[in-house]
Amino acid sequence: MESLGNRLSTLLAIAWLLPLFGFVVEVFAMSWPNANRKSKAAAYFAIFCIGFGFVCSSIAFYEWGNGTDWAVFKAVDHGHGEAATATEHGDHAAVGHADHEHKAVTHETPKQTVFAGTFYNLAQFGNLKVSLDYYIDSLTLAMFVMVTLIATCIHIFATGYMAEELVNDYVDHQVHTHDGGHFHRPGRFYKFFSYMSLFCFAMLGLVLAGNIFQVFIFWELVGICSYLLIGFYVERHSASTAANKAFIVNRVGDFGFIIGLMILWTSFGTFSFADQHGTDGKVQPGLFSMARGHDGELAKTTDGKTVVLKTEQDGHGHWEAPAEPSHQKTITYTLLIVAGLGVFGGCVGKSAQFPLQTWLPDAMEGPTPVSALVHSATMVAAGVYLAGRFYPMFVPEVLLTIAYVGCITAFVGATIAIVATDIKKVLAYSTISQLGYMMLGLGVGGWGAGLFHLVTHACFKSLMFLCSGSVIAGCHHEQEMPKMGGLLRKMPITALTMLVGVMAIAGLAIPGTSIAFSGYHSKDAILATALAYTKLNPIHFLLFVVPLLTAGITSFYMFRLWFYTFLGKPRDQHLHEHVHESPWEMTGPLLLLAVLAAGCAIGGEDGKLFKMLTFSQPVGVADGVDGAAAHTVSLPGHTAIHESHSTAGSAALLAAFIGMSISYLVYGKGVINPADIKRQAASVHAFLANKWGFDDLYDVMFVKPAHVVAKFAAAIDKFVFDEILHTFVRMGIAVSKWDRKFDEGVIDGIVNLMGNSTYSLGISLRNVQTGKIRQYVTFIAVSVVTLFVLLFALYPKG
Amino acid sequence: MNEIGLLVQRLLDETTKTSVGLFVPELVLSGTIVAMLLCRILPLLWRVPAQWIALLGAFTAFAWTLCQFDQLVGGTMQPTPIFTGLLMFDQFATFFRMFLCLFLILTITLTVLSGIPDREDGPDFYTLLIGATLGMMIMSSANHLLMVFLGVEMASVPSYAMVGFLKGRKKSSEAALKYVVYGAGAAGVMLYGISLLAGLTGTGSLPEIGHRLSMIVSQGAGISDPIVRTIVLASLMVLVGLAFKLSVFPFHFWCPDVFEGAAAEVAGFLSVASKAGAFALLVRFGLAFSGGSAAVSEIAFALGIGIGVLAAATATFGNLSAYGQTNIKRMLAYSTIAHAGYMLMAVSALMVMKYSKHGGAESTAATLSCIEGLIYYLFVYLFMNLGAFAIVALVRNQIFSEEIEDYNGLATQCPLLCFGMALCIFSLIGLPPMGGFFAKLVIFASVFKATSVHWAMWFVLGAGAINTVFGLFYYIRILKAMYLKPRPDGARKVSYDLMPVGLFVLMICLPTLGLGILPARFTETFNNVASVLLTGR
Repeated sequence: MESLGNRLSTLLAIAWLLPLFGFVVEVFAMSWPNANRKSKAAAYFAIFCIGFGFVCSSIAFYEWGNGTDWAVFKAVDHGHGEAATATEHGDHAAVGHADHEHKAVTHETPKQTVFAGTFYNLAQFGNLKVSLDYYIDSLTLAMFVMVTLIATCIHIFATGYMAEELVNDYVDHQVHTHDGGHFHRPGRFYKFFSYMSLFCFAMLGLVLAGNIFQVFIFWELVGICSYLLIGFYVERHSASTAANKAFIVNRVGDFGFIIGLMILWTSFGTFSFADQHGTDGKVQPGLFSMARGHDGELAKTTDGKTVVLKTEQDGHGHWEAPAEPSHQKTITYTLLIVAGLGVFGGCVGKSAQFPLQTWLPDAMEGPTPVSALVHSATMVAAGVYLAGRFYPMFVPEVLLTIAYVGCITAFVGATIAIVATDIKKVLAYSTISQLGYMMLGLGVGGWGAGLFHLVTHACFKSLMFLCSGSVIAGCHHEQEMPKMGGLLRKMPITALTMLVGVMAIAGLAIPGTSIAFSGYHSKDAILATALAYTKLNPIHFLLFVVPLLTAGITSFYMFRLWFYTFLGKPRDQHLHEHVHESPWEMTGPLLLLAVLAAGCAIGGEDGKLFKMLTFSQPVGVADGVDGAAAHTVSLPGHTAIHESHSTAGSAALLAAFIGMSISYLVYGKGVINPADIKRQAASVHAFLANKWGFDDLYDVMFVKPAHVVAKFAAAIDKFVFDEILHTFVRMGIAVSKWDRKFDEGVIDGIVNLMGNSTYSLGISLRNVQTGKIRQYVTFIAVSVVTLFVLLFALYPKG
Repeated sequence: MNEIGLLVQRLLDETTKTSVGLFVPELVLSGTIVAMLLCRILPLLWRVPAQWIALLGAFTAFAWTLCQFDQLVGGTMQPTPIFTGLLMFDQFATFFRMFLCLFLILTITLTVLSGIPDREDGPDFYTLLIGATLGMMIMSSANHLLMVFLGVEMASVPSYAMVGFLKGRKKSSEAALKYVVYGAGAAGVMLYGISLLAGLTGTGSLPEIGHRLSMIVSQGAGISDPIVRTIVLASLMVLVGLAFKLSVFPFHFWCPDVFEGAAAEVAGFLSVASKAGAFALLVRFGLAFSGGSAAVSEIAFALGIGIGVLAAATATFGNLSAYGQTNIKRMLAYSTIAHAGYMLMAVSALMVMKYSKHGGAESTAATLSCIEGLIYYLFVYLFMNLGAFAIVALVRNQIFSEEIEDYNGLATQCPLLCFGMALCIFSLIGLPPMGGFFAKLVIFASVFKATSVHWAMWFVLGAGAINTVFGLFYYIRILKAMYLKPRPDGARKVSYDLMPVGLFVLMICLPTLGLGILPARFTETFNNVASVLLTGR
């Protein structure tokens, strides 16, 4: 078992570090002064690094499956049967379930499926250990395979998309110089790929990380990469502003993250997820063990205000709260909520959740492959990933917050997408909306559902972004949909693969059969969980209704995008004539991703992907939480969710079809003129086009006040501090003038005197060296005698 | 008759069964000399290049000493006197033998790269080089006054010839002549001292001397006692012979002339190897007084103070004289004099603490650190000084000059050589991250400990500190010339092969940095060497 852990960690470490190696090589080799800017070597090297990473991840996945006897699929099957029997037991299911599962697991020895350990100890400050750990479970593996696969596709796509950078003199038509010309600069092909490699390294490191501090490090590192890539065309004012915006907005979220980290450190005394085996054979409990133990329950005191941490192992190796109060380590319940909200704050920033969603649409200023990889498939999903990874630390109150934040985000994002006309902006808002779905899924207790949607969304959204990239490249960097239209004939592969993506995100399926696009399965899983949740907590009924509505809207605006772009008559004839299908290195990845987008979730919740993900589901999620006990809300168990499936699924499908139909009528058939609607509901349209006014609101709330404060501070600086400084400086000058005289006259004199005398002493010593051999030999005799005389003189007389 | 037979038998046994086996590295080097000369005589083997034979021999000897050292440290071999006590086989000796073999390898490599002995002269040159090394190895393991003298002479005589090896150059021949005459004078004085000492004690064996002396020196006898006076004079004369080898003021006069006249490779060899051998011998001679009565210790203590004063004078003199030099080899010659002064401070501190009246466990630890510092300094010195001389030789091959002003602007043409030079110079000055700094630090620390024994050591320490500053000025001149001055128009262009030459330069210059950054591993070994020498454990 241990060796399997070693093998896995080695494989994943290779996959993780190769891109870093690639980054170093690309940056240094290509920054060489006479490197060839027309060479694609950087791209090939980057593809090799990430491609090899994919191979390693796949092997690791296979090894993990083998080493656990493909326990994922078997054990969960078993679990399902168990769940079914539990249902028959009726009302007592929730109570009896834990025991059942316990027995089910013990009668055959469970295989180890989570592998955690330490790569390298960076530093130790008192009790605070900062180390590079790894935490490998099925979620880690799934993320690794997904990230490396999608990144490989996107790298390949980018060799085609970024090919125009392969010049010594790149003309940026969107940057105007003062004399009216365009901005010229050397091509940055290699730089793009080096940033991409760095990003892959950071992202994989984030996923592999075994402690929350390490997560934070890589969290910031992906933030930096995002900043660099958004600002890739740094000379464009919009790009550099967008990069700054993304970075600063993320800082707001990270502020919460740091607060969460500090609370956790103070109360728990460790950052590590998993239990740590010390060199002395002692086992230190990790965060999850301390909070949840083996049964997934918080050990609250009777008044419910304090949580006792489970820091002692009982005979079975289960972590339990110490019985004796003096040994107890505690944290107040409120503080646990604050810590959870703090960490979630980081997720909000990174995953562009309400109210920090404003940076993501602007981030589309980066090159399209970046939007596909960083700002839709991986980095922005990191927030969801972390929320999933950190799930055991979230108390129900925090989960409720997460659910509402996700719900609002999903709705806001979807509504704005209806009116967006820039093809990438539409996709960006849809990303926001879908991330909201994932958060919602996690928040309502659908751990597996949320992360399921993360993976499927990564596939179809990266596909759609790459398609849009292909369209943009084909249209010579025109991104406005009103100027497109009728592109189906000109670029059939792009159009059809995009259609696959659109159907996937809309969540279409053939009713009555199990044939469905991946988005249907994952969205269905989320909605079913939400429905089960609202059944348990009727007061939170909006958590089901709004997402359902949003599903319809999603279907509407996605089909709008497709009809707008690919069907109908060309709206800009000049543009249309020059459109061409993209080369193979761009369409190849599209086809591969289209297959994934359509089929990666085959089987839905009985499919392999979902089962694999839920295998690392935190303890207790499957059972649900009974609100009557002590919690404010109840969380649905698997059984309850299962019951809601058919209802939720049908409702979602209906919503999707309605959305699609309206879209077809309006944009495909032209039955209703969209311009009329726009006129009719001008205020609504303006409101939505203005992105619900968030940017204006933040401008008034934060940016303007910040400017005022900055001006005030600058004024104080200028008129108060500078004045004081100037006075000091004037005094200093006066003193130094006098000092100079002193210096030149006295100090220099002394120093020079010393220097000169030493020097002339040295020169005069040369004279001793006469070069006359006779003198030398005489000196021997003289010296011996002199030395003897000296010793004689100084030696103590007896 | 029977008894004599038995005695002969025991002698033979001791020689063949123990001594010869431990003496193999020296024998290998001797064999190498014979092999090279044979090649010269036999027309068939005429084509075999002498440097490869020499290199092979040096490598074999090095490997052998390395194994011996490893076994000694590991405890599978025990220190033992060999050849009826003429030589001593212990960690200290083996470390220096290893050191010398390593240095021999590096020097031969350098000569191969710089091509100083041509094909015709190769066997002669390497014979001299290996012969001198052999002498130094004997110096480092000498355990008997006879071997002291033999070792010094064996090291010196080939050196004389090597200095004059650049035939047809007036300066070279003149330097050789000066070296011979001066060496002969010094050897004469030393021999006189040795015979006095042997006559007084009735033995030549170094470990016996302290014991024997305490039998003839009465308690509380001062300098007015003729025996004490004779002992002091004899010791002084022996020290003169060593001072000549170490170029200690005022017996340094040969040094600048010889270094200027000799080829840079030879100068580099003399400056490091012959110093290493001489320091080993000095330490052995200094420790010969141990085990004696308080009166003997008092004599040795006084000698220690005297050595300290000489050390301070040497360092100061060497540094100050280097100021006005225009020839880089001559400047480096004065620099080696100064460095001999620093290292001599360690010996002085050793003797002062070893022979102080209030010796104890604490002073044992302190004396350990003296030897440790000395060995560390020598080890760093090997790389930094050889590096400097090697670069001088390599640059000379290109610009045909050894004047500092001809080094102007070299950094633009051969950055690697200049970088190596900069490393060596920073280390020679003793700037912090370099090995030279750490070595100086250890030595000054032990001198500082010695100040608690006798006030005169404050003077030594002060001289050491102020000399570090003095040194800065003239070393920096070389760097200033290389890096800040422009290369004059029409100056000869410098080009060299990056692969063997550049690699070699890096190989000998980078350790100066490594020794400064990672001293811990080495100090441990050196400490072990020192502790076996001082305490037998």
